[in-house]
Amino acid sequence: MEPYALSLGAAAAEIAARRLSPVELVDSVLRRIDATEGAINAFACVTADLARAAARRAEEEIAGGRHRGPLHGIPLGVKDLCDTAGVPTTSSSKVREGNVPDRDSVVVEHLLAAGMVMVGKTHTHEFAYGAITPTTRNPWDVRRIPGGSSGGSAAALAAGTCMVGVGTDTGGSIRIPAALCGTVGLKPTYGRSSKRGIAPLSWSLDHVGPLARNVRDCALVLNAIAGADPLDPSTLHAPVPDHTAGLDGGIAGLRVGVPVNHFFDHVSDDVAAAVRGAASVLEGLGARLQEVTIPHADAMMAAGWAIILPEASAYHQEALRERGDLYAPDVRLFLEAGELVLATDYLRALRVRTLIQQGWAEMFADIDVLIAPTVPLAAPVVGTAMIPWPGGVTEDITQALVRLTLPANLTGLPSLSLAVGFDAGGLPLGMQVIGRPLDEATVLRVGQAYECASDTVGRLAPL
Amino acid sequence: MSSAPRPFSGEAAAHAARAARLPLSPERLEIVGPTVELVYALIDLMDPVRLGETPPATAFDPRWSR
Repeated sequence: MEPYALSLGAAAAEIAARRLSPVELVDSVLRRIDATEGAINAFACVTADLARAAARRAEEEIAGGRHRGPLHGIPLGVKDLCDTAGVPTTSSSKVREGNVPDRDSVVVEHLLAAGMVMVGKTHTHEFAYGAITPTTRNPWDVRRIPGGSSGGSAAALAAGTCMVGVGTDTGGSIRIPAALCGTVGLKPTYGRSSKRGIAPLSWSLDHVGPLARNVRDCALVLNAIAGADPLDPSTLHAPVPDHTAGLDGGIAGLRVGVPVNHFFDHVSDDVAAAVRGAASVLEGLGARLQEVTIPHADAMMAAGWAIILPEASAYHQEALRERGDLYAPDVRLFLEAGELVLATDYLRALRVRTLIQQGWAEMFADIDVLIAPTVPLAAPVVGTAMIPWPGGVTEDITQALVRLTLPANLTGLPSLSLAVGFDAGGLPLGMQVIGRPLDEATVLRVGQAYECASDTVGRLAPL
Repeated sequence: MSSAPRPFSGEAAAHAARAARLPLSPERLEIVGPTVELVYALIDLMDPVRLGETPPATAFDPRWSR
């Protein structure tokens, strides 16, 4: 097996045992980038020279007995929304062309301090405002979208061109591409990690988290990036456990909620069957399935958009007026429309959000986690604008892609997406596991239990 | 609360854009107006939710040292 095909955990074990050097690993990944980028275009820029230099430093440190831990020497892709010192950070937008930050975002700071080796900046849907990532293609079928907005990170992971991808998630932007590209993606609890140095889309809904090839790898990365930041007022002052500690503790007796509304409405038969099959796997491992009704389901999309639209437009207010023609048409339209949302509608959405939060807290009195499809279908073909559903119903593609992920942004709850099957065309299908506030440990434990009992997690795309 | 639809085209859209100090050409208004109508229709799905004394889910923290 080529080193690029290893998971983070496997590569870390090889490095710790001195059977693999970070230089060999990074060279393997850079060769893989050369071989695949023409087809998928996952990277906004590849930092090959910086990566080789960092890998040499890692090799020297490890050889000198200064092994920093499991992330040391591991190749990292960073969403182009996140500031990186001395490396262009454009949010995949002409509006930010030529922008080179002078310091790292906090999440990058943490990962580089843990010894990770950044191999490049991964594409995002412009300013994370969309679920397509039009620059990039899905490695499972390059005629299809990777999802977004962290589409570059997910595509790179699935193609073997990084072992960890940093993502951000406002309405599903970690989990949607994770599901469509067959990777694992974790949106932690709102405020679990600092967003300082990351271009915001919607301050009150934005999250940052990892994409990786398996559940344990996500846990390792979360350990490195979680924690309060005194300069990011949205971060939570809460203890950060070792998220790998109870990972293999099993799920016997765990109460797993299965929604009877919202999450299985207008979902493809393949996705529904894969998620219900995964539920049966969890039940077979000792979990107790419990049907639950999602509260305020009809108001969730409305509240989400009523918050995202004006918050995004507020952030882009100056640039829209000064350089509006530089935005992609879809993003420009969202920004212009968001300018015209009434303040009372915005506040109404924030009040509805309170009720949604209360309703979910009550629902979680009877369950420990909720499982649901991540997205209602496999990766659509590039250019798809509307999704047809039975009964003559059609749905805008962005609405369809965020419909099932947005609830965890509104509630701020941790949510893990992982592959639970493949459709007849070989495209991955995703399930999300949503947990209580700050209980990433249980969410990861459920994901790990499923991963160990199946063979759907951790595959590379046959590119 | 009235659940009447909120039309947003022609002079209404132009007026709102002026109020927002958002310079939109007539061509842009023809695109933005219908989009805002869709946004309002989506937002109005919250109409049935009775809010009573429910406060907004804001994140403001009044502490001076964090």
